[in-house]
Amino acid sequence: MTKIIVITSGKGGVGKTTTSASFAVGLAKKGYKTAVIDFDIGLRNLDLIMGCERRVVYDFVNVIRKEANLNQALIRDKHIKDLFILPASQTRDKEALTIEGVGLILAELNKTFDYIVCDSPAGIERGAQLAMYFADSAIVVTNPEVSSVRDSDRMLGLLTSKTKRAEEGRDPIEEHLLLTRYSPKRVTRGEMLSLSDVNEILAIPLLGVIPESPAVLRASNSGEPVILAEESDAGQAYADAIGRFLGEEIPHRFIAEKNHWLKRLLRFKEKEAI
Amino acid sequence: MTVSTLNAEQLSCFHFKASFSPCMILQLTRIDFDALEQQLKQTIAKAPNLFMGSPVVVDLEKIKTQGVLNFIKLKHILMSVGLVPIGVRGGNKEQHEAAIIDGLPILTNQKLTVNEKEQPAVHNTHKESTPTFAKFVTTPIRSGMQIYAKGCDLIVAAAVSPGAELLADGSIHIYGPLRGRALAGVQGNTDARIFCRTLENAELVSIAGYYLTKEDIQTNEAKDGTIQIYLDNTRVRILSL
Repeated sequence: MTKIIVITSGKGGVGKTTTSASFAVGLAKKGYKTAVIDFDIGLRNLDLIMGCERRVVYDFVNVIRKEANLNQALIRDKHIKDLFILPASQTRDKEALTIEGVGLILAELNKTFDYIVCDSPAGIERGAQLAMYFADSAIVVTNPEVSSVRDSDRMLGLLTSKTKRAEEGRDPIEEHLLLTRYSPKRVTRGEMLSLSDVNEILAIPLLGVIPESPAVLRASNSGEPVILAEESDAGQAYADAIGRFLGEEIPHRFIAEKNHWLKRLLRFKEKEAI
Repeated sequence: MTVSTLNAEQLSCFHFKASFSPCMILQLTRIDFDALEQQLKQTIAKAPNLFMGSPVVVDLEKIKTQGVLNFIKLKHILMSVGLVPIGVRGGNKEQHEAAIIDGLPILTNQKLTVNEKEQPAVHNTHKESTPTFAKFVTTPIRSGMQIYAKGCDLIVAAAVSPGAELLADGSIHIYGPLRGRALAGVQGNTDARIFCRTLENAELVSIAGYYLTKEDIQTNEAKDGTIQIYLDNTRVRILSL
């Protein structure tokens, strides 16, 4: 049974595309045949993050308009077998997407894929609504700051009302929270909302906490999803999150500030000096 | 608008318009004009201003098996007590013919059947709606969602997020944290109240259009426990129970 996952947030720049890329790679690495679709028509980014921008010929809109077939548009990933990317069109806008067109493409992918990851654009307009419409599961990407939390809350409202599952009265979409760009140090300093602050408002199960990390920017620039940087904290956090998504029990990491004994000693010395 | 249509409108000295005006129905249960006159006088004497000059429609449905009545006499009786008969409804064919001759128009049968059909329907919905004294919501109310309890109370057993809005014609009861807006008595019911458990992050509370904003709420002492919000003349009061 194919599972359609939407990566959504409402707010822009919180890490939806980074998460989509890492999730798709992570699921494929576990042996599931996975497709990742860029719904951000007009602002194509996923191909860059996945490092396949030089191989884009046909795109999502071409397939919807029957100018190309799905197999022509799907790009096979260089590193991992069983991973395919359907890029967005850069020259059109989100009005080019139709509910019937999206439905047909997903139905065709349903035949051969285990997971379909939909990378939603920011906002609550057509692109975002179509990305979530057919989903079985939603990963709500949130940064620890008030505007991102409010936008995620709004998206959760839409997920319970504006999706096929909701309209057909089936079981509601599974909701998961992924807190990204988290810095325990800044939480302690009171510069950032804490995990419990976010949880209090959104109140959905926590899939993982991805720490703020230079590895993410490095990965984006080099076109290799951060999950492949296995030694990095962000890469490990994504791997943990995928494990949890697949039902494994993995304790949460990167939530508390690292308190190395040497650091503590130094801080103690600092206090002494004052 | 073109010049020609403007002229046409200026020229016409009347318009036909479809409209329904309220009027009383006088339903006759038997043909006894002496008793009718006496009883009408007694009834109207209790509230003469209410009935003075009121248009009435005479309903013949219950006497349609009782033969033709003297409509001229009926008109005199009604007018003598201050009522203005404007027509009849129901009844049989002979009664209708007599009424028309005596200058009382027949209000169509169709209307009557509609009225008759409407009545049981109203009764049915009334029976169904009797137990709906409140609207229940048990799922979280997210930012941007709006819940309206029309004609009843609203009970929310979940969190109300910032940017969400609760509206009720009656009172509002919230058992999760209230972080959004709650507006009770939106149709002007000043007796409506809001009950909640935490108020610290509420954005706005309102009773019948009188409101407190987040700033006003935060200066109030009662923020936790069981809180009641009600209207005291034109001031919204927050009371810790």
